[in-house]
Amino acid sequence: MRVTQNTTANLVLNNLQVIRERQEQLQQQSSTGAKISAPGDDPVNTQQILHLKSLTAAGEQYARNITNGTSLLTMADSAMAGMGDVLSRAKEIAVAMSNDTNNANSRTAAVNELQQLKNQIITLGNTQLNGKYIFGGFKNDTPPFDAAGNFTGTNDDINIEIERGTFLPVNYAGDKLVNGGTPAGSSGTDIIKIFDNLVTALNAGSTSAVQAELPNLDSAMSQVLAARSDVGARMNRLDGSSQVNDNTKLSLTKILSNIQDVDYMQVISDLSKQQTAYQAAIAASAKISQVTLLDYLR
Amino acid sequence: MSINSLLETGRTALNAQKLALEVTGENITNVNTTGYSRQTTILETAPTTLERGFPLGSGVKVAAVQRSYDGFLQTQIMGQNATYGQGKTSNSALQRVQQLFNEFTTDGLGVSLQNFFKSWQDLTVNPQGAPERQAVLSQGQQLVDNFHRINSNLNDVKSDMNKSLEGQVSDINDTLNQIATLNLQIKQIEVQSGPANEMRDKRDLLLRQLSQKVGISFVEQPDGMVDVSLTSGQSLVVGKDAAALSLLPNAANSGFYDILLTPPGGGPAVNATAFIGGPGNTQGEIGGALLVRDTMVNNYLSELDELASTLASEVNGLHSAGYGLTAASTGLDFFTPPAAVAGYSGQGGIGVNIAAISDVAAADADPTVNGTGNNKNAQSIASVYDKFLAMSAGNVTLEGFYDSLVGKVGVGVQNAGRAESQSDGILKQLNNMRESASGVSLDEELANLIKYQKAYEGAAKLINVGSEMLDTVINLVK
Repeated sequence: MRVTQNTTANLVLNNLQVIRERQEQLQQQSSTGAKISAPGDDPVNTQQILHLKSLTAAGEQYARNITNGTSLLTMADSAMAGMGDVLSRAKEIAVAMSNDTNNANSRTAAVNELQQLKNQIITLGNTQLNGKYIFGGFKNDTPPFDAAGNFTGTNDDINIEIERGTFLPVNYAGDKLVNGGTPAGSSGTDIIKIFDNLVTALNAGSTSAVQAELPNLDSAMSQVLAARSDVGARMNRLDGSSQVNDNTKLSLTKILSNIQDVDYMQVISDLSKQQTAYQAAIAASAKISQVTLLDYLR
Repeated sequence: MSINSLLETGRTALNAQKLALEVTGENITNVNTTGYSRQTTILETAPTTLERGFPLGSGVKVAAVQRSYDGFLQTQIMGQNATYGQGKTSNSALQRVQQLFNEFTTDGLGVSLQNFFKSWQDLTVNPQGAPERQAVLSQGQQLVDNFHRINSNLNDVKSDMNKSLEGQVSDINDTLNQIATLNLQIKQIEVQSGPANEMRDKRDLLLRQLSQKVGISFVEQPDGMVDVSLTSGQSLVVGKDAAALSLLPNAANSGFYDILLTPPGGGPAVNATAFIGGPGNTQGEIGGALLVRDTMVNNYLSELDELASTLASEVNGLHSAGYGLTAASTGLDFFTPPAAVAGYSGQGGIGVNIAAISDVAAADADPTVNGTGNNKNAQSIASVYDKFLAMSAGNVTLEGFYDSLVGKVGVGVQNAGRAESQSDGILKQLNNMRESASGVSLDEELANLIKYQKAYEGAAKLINVGSEMLDTVINLVK
C-alpha cells in the first residue's frame, strides 16, 4: 500500500484527535463526579436513576408528612393528658362530696370548682394548633365545643400519607372523646353530662346522686385513657415509619451512588494514561514528519 | 542511418522527458490539492522503421498521461458520505433535544411534576392553609411553564431543520450546475485531445461533496459525460443539463417546506420530499434534516402531548368533583381542559385554570356543610402520581411514562452518535485507501524528477554527439 504525505498527516491528526476526545470525556467525568451526564450516555441506567430519584423525593415528602402528623398527635396527647388530670380532680371532689359530712358552704365551693373543671374540659376540647382546632374533624376553623359543651364539629378522619398507599389518621374525634359519640352518650360516656349531673346533685344536696356518678367518672377516665393510648400507638407508628423512611433513603442513596458515581481512582489513572499516550503520539508524529527525500537531494 | 535520425531520436526524447517532467511538476505542486489524482506519463517506443535491413525504433513518444482513479472506491466513498451526512445532521439536532430532557444537569419536567404532587401532599396536612394553597397554584404554573418550554424548543428544532433546507438546496443546485458544465467541457476537450484529467478530478470532487448532501449514484457515458441520479432513480444531471431543486411551503405540514425537483432539460416539477432523503430518510444531510423535522421530533412531541393531556384529564376529573373553600367553588377544572391531545403541551394548550387560592379543591364535599378541613380530594389528587394509568406505553404511572420518554431520547441520541462515529471511521478508512491509490507521494515524485532529469541530460548529450558528428562530416570536405 502506497503511503503518501497526506496519509501520514491524516493519520497523525486522527490519532491525536482520538486521544484528545478520550481525555475530554475523562475530564468531564472527574469534574462532575458522575459517569452519566446526559441521557444519551447510558439510556437504560438513566431511566433507573430517574426512578430512584423520584423515590427519594417521595421519601422526603413522606418525612414531611410524618413530622406534621407527629406534631398534631403530640398536641392531642397533651390535651388528653390535661383532661385526665381534670377528671382525677373531679373524682376527688366527687368522692369527698359523696358522704354526708359536708355543709352547704363546702358544697357550694365544690359546685364552683366543678363548673371550672367543666370549662377546663371544654377549653381542652378546643385546643388549637396553628389556628386549627384539632378535635373538630373537618370543621376545624371554629371551636368544636360551645360554651355548654355541645359538639359542633365532625368526626371525619384527617388522613395523611406516610408511605406509598398507607394512610394514617392524625386526629381524634372530639365527640368520641368528650361526648361519648353523637348523639351524646351513644357510644361512650358523656363527660359533660357527668359534670352537669354532679352540679345538679350537689345543688340538690343529694349524696346518692353524687355516688351514682362515681362509676361514670371511672369510665370517663378510662375513655380518655383509651383515646390517649390510641394516639400514642399512632405516634409510635409514625416513629417507626420515619425510621423505615430514613433507612430507605440511605439505601436509595447508596444504590444511586453505585450506578451514577464515578470511581475517582479509575478516572484519574485513566486520565494520566491518556496524557502519557498523547505525549508519546505527539513526539512520534514530530519524528515522522521531519525527514523527506528533499533533505537529501542537493 | 542518417545523422538526422539520430538528432530526431534525441529530439523525441527531449520532448517526451520534458513532458514527463511537466507532469511530475504538476503532481508535486498539487500534493495538497483536495481531490487531485496523481498523473503518470506512459512512455512507449515510437514506431519502428527499416534501417539498412534492421527494424529499429525511432525514439520515444508519450502514449498517454494517465490518471490513477478507482471507480469502485469512488462509489463506496459516495455511499458512505451519504450515511455520514445524515448521521451528522440528525446527531447534532438530537443533542439539542437531549438538553431539554437532561435531568442530570438541571431540574427539568420530571422534578417539576414531582414538586406539583408534593404540594398537594402538603395541602392534605393543612387544607385551609393559604401558603399551601398558593404553593399548589405556583407549582402548577411551573409545571405548565415547563411543558410550554419543552414544546416550543422542540418546535424550534423543527423549524431550524426546515430553515437549513434553504441553504442545502441552493448548494445542491449550484453543484449540479457545475457538474453539468464540467460534463460539457470534458466532452469537448476529450473529443479533440486526450483525457481531461484535472477536470475529471474536479468533477469527482464535486460528486463526493454532493453525495454528503443527498444520496446519489452515477453512470459514466462513453462520451465522457456523467449522468447523476438519486439513489431512487430520479435524474439530477443528464449530460449537460442539470435538474433544479426548489422549496414550496406545505400548509398541510405546518408551513414546512416540500422539496420540488425539476428534471434536467425542463419539465414539470415533481414533489421529491418523499424520496429525496433516500429510503426512510437515511441518506444525505437532506435526509437527516427531513428525518428530524418530520419524524423524530414529532414522536417526542406527541409523547409530551400525551403526558400533558393525561395529567390534565386525571387531575381535572378529580378536581372538578371536589370543592374549594366555598360552596360555589366546585365543578372547576385545575388545568385548561384538553380539546385535543396533539399540541396540548404547547402555549395554546395546557394552562392553569384557577386564579383564586380558595378555588383549589381540597375537599370532596361541600365545606360549608361538612367543614373546610376536608382533605380527601387533596389526598386523591396527590395519589394520582402513584396511580397506574393506561397510556401508550402500557399501564404506567405518569412518572414512569416521563422516564421512558427520557430513555427514548437517550437511545435516539446514542444511536445517532454511534452511527455518525461509525460512518466517520469507515469514511476515514476509505479516504486513506483513495489517498493510497491516487494520492501524490512526494518521495516518489522527487525520485521521478531525478529520473526524467537524467534522461533529459542523456538525450541532450545524444544531440550533442550527433551535432559533433555532423560537424565532423561537414569538415570532411574542405
